[in-house]
Amino acid sequence: MLHLYLRLISAQIRSQMQYRSGFLLEAAASAVISAMVFVTFAFVIERFGNIAGWSLGEVGFLYGLIEFSFGLMDMIFSGFDPQNFGRQVRLGRLDQVLLRPINVTLQIFGSEFILRRIGRIVQGLVILFVAEGMIDIQWTALKVSFIPVIVICQILFFGGLFVIGATITFWTFESIEVMNIFTYGGAEMMSYPMSIYPGWMRKFFTYILPAIFINYYPALFILDKPDPLGMP
Amino acid sequence: MRLFWKICAISIQRQLAYRAAAMAGLLTNLFFGLLRAAVLVALYGSRTVVTGISIEGAITYTGITQGIIGFLSLFSWYELMSTVYSGAIASDLVKPLNYYRFWMAQDFGRALAQLILRGLPIMVIYAVAFNITTPTSITQGLVILASMLLAWNISFSWRFLLNLSSFWVPNAMGILRFGFVLSWFLSGFLMPIRYFPDWLQKICYLTPFPHLINTIVEIYLGVISGTELLRIIMLQVGWALGLMVLSNLVLRAGIRRLVISGG
Repeated sequence: MLHLYLRLISAQIRSQMQYRSGFLLEAAASAVISAMVFVTFAFVIERFGNIAGWSLGEVGFLYGLIEFSFGLMDMIFSGFDPQNFGRQVRLGRLDQVLLRPINVTLQIFGSEFILRRIGRIVQGLVILFVAEGMIDIQWTALKVSFIPVIVICQILFFGGLFVIGATITFWTFESIEVMNIFTYGGAEMMSYPMSIYPGWMRKFFTYILPAIFINYYPALFILDKPDPLGMP
Repeated sequence: MRLFWKICAISIQRQLAYRAAAMAGLLTNLFFGLLRAAVLVALYGSRTVVTGISIEGAITYTGITQGIIGFLSLFSWYELMSTVYSGAIASDLVKPLNYYRFWMAQDFGRALAQLILRGLPIMVIYAVAFNITTPTSITQGLVILASMLLAWNISFSWRFLLNLSSFWVPNAMGILRFGFVLSWFLSGFLMPIRYFPDWLQKICYLTPFPHLINTIVEIYLGVISGTELLRIIMLQVGWALGLMVLSNLVLRAGIRRLVISGG
């Protein structure tokens, strides 16, 4: 299983590396593009000092972590990107996949692996490191070992949303843009401390789509910040 | 001119056909508007006015920027590029209408439809949900409309120019994507330009981009008036004319290069 997956992925990577300069340019562009939002925020926060008690470095920690995981997810789950997957369904290409005597999920995972997402991943990492340098985190062994857990959870969270969005296109005629609210919107939302949002929004992202537990609370723990929401 | 309006009307009809997509787009724009409003409210904290913009003004700003995305097609516009790569451009070039005006007519129809389908509903919902700023006089309302028209014109020429790059390069996608993001950053779409450090504000105003969004926002919120208002509108007119001329010059150079094979 794993062997087959790796074979499919390496074929994808090799084909995308054929145009090396084009690939590098696209990856660099994608890094710059995704950094723009945070850079703008960094320029503006100077005028305000902080956001709900969070400094630029602390928000950068939230932001960098999410960007890193989302970029990784976007690369691994490329095949499930609802827009792309919806097109495959509409064009009838999924029928070929279903006919092959191999696990369907595995095939879809292997069908696409968008390497230029590396730009967004690197961007997230850079911001994460810059942010770490700006704030004084008391690192302990527990905190360090917690980081990969957070990243994996975030990848699975957004990946799950991608799979849901993809499978919904079996019933809808067009890929549904509304899913973007939860994926891209969710990522943007989680880049800031959740305490700033109106109650109903926060409740939705706590009880129905539990995004709050995979970025905000872990960050409170690592940054040693008190919880203004008073979770038991 | 009749042909212009005819094309424009057809373009509106085409947009109205995709009502479900418009609805989904509206919801997404609204959600992001709420997110951005929450961020600004949190940034303001206990302050009520920052660099001349009140907290109500800041919330209104998020409504205007989200409502204008469709009108200015701020995220993407690749239609012209794809006709170049598919070769469909050949039949557009033989049409008895200036090629720039042909796309302009289509884009005007698209912009109007988007304004009605997305822009207006967002502002109405904002007005109901929040305590937003509204124009105080008819004159101000008319100036806003004029400024929006100019902004659309600048936006169209910019997108047209970006798409024209497909005459020269085999894959213009990267150039286009970069061009769009540049316009978000420098137009005041991500944050009002007034919040930026002074040196950055100056850089922004060396480009046409503030006149896509920031100018409309500032006129709407009433933070500029009198001679300052006149100056900014004249700048907008200048950029609109300049980019229009540039578009046509680049187009002429591009067509001389263009080779269409097959038939």
